[in-house]
Amino acid sequence: MEPYRPHEILIEQGEENAAVVRRALAQLPDVPVRIVEREWERHTKLSSEGDPFAAGKRRLLFTRQRAPALHYCPAGTPGLVCCNYLVISLISNCPMDCSYCFLQEYLANNPTLKVCTNVEEVLAAVAAVVDRHPQRHFRVGTGELSDSLALDPLLGFSRNLVPFFAARPNVLLELKTKSDCVDELLYLDPKDRVVVSWSLTPPDIVDSEEHRTAPFAARLEAARRVQAAGYKVGFHLDPLIEYPDWEAGYRETVARMLAAVELRRIAWISLGSLRLTPALRTTIRRRFPHTRVLSGEQVPCIDGKWRTFQALRVHMYRTIRGWIQEAAPQVPLYLCMETAAVWAKVFGHTPACDRDVARVLTGPHLSPPVAG
Amino acid sequence: MTQPDIPCALSERVAAYARERRLSPPTLARWQAWPEEDKAALLVLARELQLNENHLRDFLDWLEEIAVRDRCRVADLLTAPAIQQPLTAHTARSEKLKGVKEALRKIRYPRLSRLEADLRAAVKALDLGRQVRISFPPALEGDAITVTLTARNVRELADCLTRLHQRIEDGRMQKVFDLLDQA
Repeated sequence: MEPYRPHEILIEQGEENAAVVRRALAQLPDVPVRIVEREWERHTKLSSEGDPFAAGKRRLLFTRQRAPALHYCPAGTPGLVCCNYLVISLISNCPMDCSYCFLQEYLANNPTLKVCTNVEEVLAAVAAVVDRHPQRHFRVGTGELSDSLALDPLLGFSRNLVPFFAARPNVLLELKTKSDCVDELLYLDPKDRVVVSWSLTPPDIVDSEEHRTAPFAARLEAARRVQAAGYKVGFHLDPLIEYPDWEAGYRETVARMLAAVELRRIAWISLGSLRLTPALRTTIRRRFPHTRVLSGEQVPCIDGKWRTFQALRVHMYRTIRGWIQEAAPQVPLYLCMETAAVWAKVFGHTPACDRDVARVLTGPHLSPPVAG
Repeated sequence: MTQPDIPCALSERVAAYARERRLSPPTLARWQAWPEEDKAALLVLARELQLNENHLRDFLDWLEEIAVRDRCRVADLLTAPAIQQPLTAHTARSEKLKGVKEALRKIRYPRLSRLEADLRAAVKALDLGRQVRISFPPALEGDAITVTLTARNVRELADCLTRLHQRIEDGRMQKVFDLLDQA
């Protein structure tokens, strides 16, 4: 995978000496640097010419995070089964450029790649929440507004995150990635509290749609390496993309995925159909006119997003579930952003409540909750 | 002295059509970016059907998506019998437009269209009469069907219910629900 190299580094005034800034500057000595005022992006008229979203990815802004540290994952949409996932966003926007990425729409008005300079403060705020509720299990991820590991060689956030979560018996951290940037992780002890997970699509989709990500084989090799270093791994067949050869493509994907790692150390596998808002479809058409992701038989669903029509996506879920459960029946499997009706058709039952899903996913990995 | 009648360049003719139908700049730009033969084929269709902005955008979306998926040319798609048949039929323009859009939708959504056709056939086979209507969720998204009964008196209502009950008992109604799940 090509290392990330911005065209320009912007540092919010007063943050010049933050550890993450010094680390990045040392690695990118010849990239132009500018000191900017607080909330620079809000006060700056960015060019709307060409591809502002792509330009934003090449502008790296170090800024203090002032927003609350912990959020519920936005997948918890009314009408859909939710897995009670929490997210921390230390980075906003991503050096990769997948054709289907929701950030193209979500961050259209603030596309600058932003990195938080006060990671210790953010983690202290997280500690204040999770340590106050030792009887509760939390599953937390950093891969919502960016890839969890793609910038790790530059920023080294895993050195903050892994020891922090390794020390907490009631929290499981998920680092979700399409990269192979795992070197930093190999020297840290996750104490079974960190799951490193990969989003996987068939190799030809990786090559044509997931720009600047690690190749399929490199992701699996990275998974093998972190597993050998003591981490649990997870896989997300999400987005599940329907295209003419999807069955052959996903059969190969599942077979290679399950052959690459020790099955008993897989924390979970999720399946989630490609979902696109109408605005995102328009953006994708403009930015990736030759993409294949819009050519499936997608229709508008109850949440306004377009997905493969229900009967076909249920067929896809059932087919893939069958392959996975045949080879790895013990691995927890769940659906992302689906209705209870679809869960019932795929698994034969619907979770009684959202906490059921979360319990199935965290249960095997965290110690029993402390009474309290 | 009048100018000789020189045929305009294709892109000028497309631009002229866009002015005539007040197409938006992004829609025109998308169309103009197509290969010449595809652009020309769509111009013939647009002129014949007098496509406005919304219809034209649907055509651009579907044609681009089919061309990418099936690795074919738009010009070949538009000259295929499935599209030419409704286009050249001796019917009103609105009927032609409806026919061409339906034909193109079948190509764009082959499995969904087939399932919809199978469901229509299964409902017809139930032979429930005109007073019982069965409808499905839009784009078959969801798993509930809607049954509408129309009755002017208790006897008609009882007839409707009896027919429905018979179809439930003999398993034919179950087949309709089962079909909803089959892609």
